[in-house]
Parts: sequence; structure tokens; C-alpha cells
Amino acid sequence: MEVKTFYEQLGMGYEDVSGRLGSDALIKKFVIRFLDDASFTRLRDGLQENDGEKAFRAAHTLKGICLNLSFDTLYKPCAEITEALRDGRITEGCNTLFLEVEKEYNRLTKAVRSILIGGETK
Amino acid sequence: MKYQILIVDDAELNREILKEMLLDEYDVLEADNGKMALEIIDKEWEHIHAILLDLVMPVMDGFEVLAGLQERKVVGKIPVLVISGDNTSRNEKKCFDYGVYDFIGRPFNSVLVKLRVKNMVNQYVYKNRLEEKVQEQTAVLRKAYETVKMQAEELEKRNQDIIEVLGAIVEYRDVESGEHIQRVKGYTKILAEAFRVQYPEYGLTENTIDTIVAASALHDLGKIAIPDRILLKPGRLDKDEFEYMKSHTIRGCEILESMKVEWNPAMKKISLEIIRHHHERYDGKGYPDGLKGDEIPISAQLVSVADVYDALINERCYKDAYSKEEAFHMIMNGECGAFSPKLLETFRSVKKQFEKLS
Repeated sequence: MEVKTFYEQLGMGYEDVSGRLGSDALIKKFVIRFLDDASFTRLRDGLQENDGEKAFRAAHTLKGICLNLSFDTLYKPCAEITEALRDGRITEGCNTLFLEVEKEYNRLTKAVRSILIGGETK
Repeated sequence: MKYQILIVDDAELNREILKEMLLDEYDVLEADNGKMALEIIDKEWEHIHAILLDLVMPVMDGFEVLAGLQERKVVGKIPVLVISGDNTSRNEKKCFDYGVYDFIGRPFNSVLVKLRVKNMVNQYVYKNRLEEKVQEQTAVLRKAYETVKMQAEELEKRNQDIIEVLGAIVEYRDVESGEHIQRVKGYTKILAEAFRVQYPEYGLTENTIDTIVAASALHDLGKIAIPDRILLKPGRLDKDEFEYMKSHTIRGCEILESMKVEWNPAMKKISLEIIRHHHERYDGKGYPDGLKGDEIPISAQLVSVADVYDALINERCYKDAYSKEEAFHMIMNGECGAFSPKLLETFRSVKKQFEKLS
């Protein structure tokens, strides 16, 4: 039940991810593994280092993971920043978009920790 | 043995998801960028049964991997399934142009991906096995063909030897003709080669001409069965003697047929044509069958011109020698035999070559 709760609390499509990946146990495993994924950090670093290519690839990867795991709320800003970075140039708007990515990323990871990992130790 | 799948994706999490669903049926190799993927393919390509390929990756992207696969000629041997979030038709088309098996957009349904992987692996394993089989069979066939060809060449060579021996026997028996057989061969060759060029509709080939020339040595094979009193009689033969003499055409065929020798079919056929029909006439008044026009095999027509020409310009026990000029006109005017107008045209065109040889 906790996986369903997690998706519903964040307003993301549980039915969709469940239909595509199958069991809750698998979804949970991958969602927790998401905490170790470095794409978000690389995106932030790429923007800070003014490395447009690196930022684009990281955003693109993050977007792909969001699609696979039905992280709808994080997917939206990821898709936007990916398109903004597609030609490899960092523009003014990118930083604003990143704030949106960061906000959703933090909300998501916090929920993973509290609902899924917290739920495990109960 | 489990089939092996190579997963190429820069995000470990994506690889994990794919791996999770494939691991119970396949062995999995992983690469987190295109360069690493090509290195693995170079080392392991014979043991990789499918590639799952992401497009956007650091170091070397998916399109570069596809180009690398094309260069290595493994496209068509290992199926590639592209999995990408950039599923625009432009990207998809580009991938298909590189020869990928299929394109799946993100987010993917893991059950469907698994089914597609299963389909493409089975299809390619089957296809590759078939191709291997075809190659093996082709090699076997080629070898068999070589053997048969060698045997045919061997047979032809032995046939040539036998014809040579028979020709020598005829020559020995027919004391007057001496070098007659060698010259008939020479005239036949000159005539046949010119005729082939002037009248391609007769379908003569280099090969057929060689056979006709070799077999022309046998045209009088039947004369070895004609008694001396007729064969070597000075002056004209009476009616009965002449009838007997005519039988050399049929007797020659009987001798050849009675020999327990394995013949190349074309060689035997042409030899029999020449032996039996070299005394036929184009107007149907020849022997033994009275064949008319092109009912007479072209092999026999060619040899009969050569035979008549050589008989005319040399002395025989029953006649003196004519000059080459006289012989030429006698043949052209139909005073000695009757020949196809086409063949006479050819004969006219090689007059000089005949005279040089005689």
C-alpha cells in the first residue's frame, strides 16, 4: 500500500507506473534507488560550471527516469529545462527552470525518505 | 546457454529497470556510454544476441554507436532496440535508416519491452542460424560442383585420347589419305569459326567447335570395316561396291556405339552426327538418310565441305588431283556435292585460309 500512498500523496500516476513495471516491490526498489542517481547533482553542477552539454545530458537523463518511474511532478520542469538546454547553451531562463526542478526534486526525495524508507523501518 | 543482451544507457537506474526484467531469461552486459558499448561489442559480438540502446549519452551517443555498428557490419547480425525519450519521428526514422530492429519511446511498459526483446532475439537467432546453414550448404555444393567439373574435364580428356587413337587407326587403314584427317580437322576449324561469327543464329560456341573439330577426325571411322578390295580399288566402283562403300557411315556409328567407353554426351552426339551424315547433301540427294537442308546437323555440314575440298585437291586411288582454284569453283558451283548457301558464303570468305593450309 505504501507505494500507492507515495504516488497519490505527490499527485503522480500510480496506475500508470504499476501497469508498466508490475509489482510494488519493484517500483519501491527503483524509487529508492533514485536517491542514489546522480543526474540531479550533475545538472546542478553543469549549470554552475556553465557546461551546457553536461547540463543538457543530465536533464535529459533525469527526464527519462521521471518518465520510467512516472514522476509526473518532477518530469514537467525536467522536460522544460531539457528543451531549454537542447542546443547546449545555458540561458537566463535555465536558472529559473532549475529552481522549479530543484523544488520538485526536494519534495519528491523527501517523500521517498519519509514514506518509503520511513515505512520500511516501522 | 542463456542469450546475452547488452544494455547501453548512461543512467544506472534505467539500466537497472531493464536488467530487472530481463535477468531471469538472459545474461546482461552493461555499458554507460557509446564508446564502452563498442568496446564490449568488439570483444564479445559473437556472444551478444541483442542490444538495447539509449540515444543521449555522454562520450559517445547512440547515433555514433549505430554508425559504429554499421561500420563493423554487425547491423543485421545483432538486433538493436532503441529506447529513447526523444521519440520524434525524425529520430525514429534516423534510427531505422541505420537498420535498427525497433524503437521504443519512454516511458516504456516493461512487459512489452520484454516481449519485444524475446521476439527479436528469437528471430535473429533463427535468421543467423539459417544464414549459417545456407553458407555451409553453399560450400558443400561448390565442392561437389568442383569435383563434378574435374571429372567432366577428365572424361573429356580421355574421350579426346580415344578419338585420337581411332583417328590414327582410320588413317593407317586408309592408306591413300595420309594426312587427310589432320587437314580435315584444320579446314573444319577455319570454316566453323568463320561460320559462328557470320551466322550466330546457329548457336555455335567455342566449346562446340572444339568438339566438332576433334570429332571430325572420326568421319571415316566406318572405313576400317570396308574390305581392301573395295576401299583400295583403283578406278571407279561398280554399283554394288559403291553401295557397300556407302555403308561406312552406318558402320562407323555402329563401331562407336559398340565401344564400352564412357562418353561425354555432347561429344558422342556430335561424333555420331558427323560419322553418319558427312555424306548427306543439302538438296536431300545424299546418304545414308537423304536428309535435306538444315535437317543435316551443322557439325556434319561443316565437315563435309572440309572433306570434299581435301578430296578434290589431292590425288586419290580413283582420281587425279584438282588445283585449289578448280576445287573452289567446283564446290561453289555445286559440281561436287550440294551445300547450304550460307555455308558456301562462309567457304568463299575463308578461301585464302583454306589454300594456305592445304
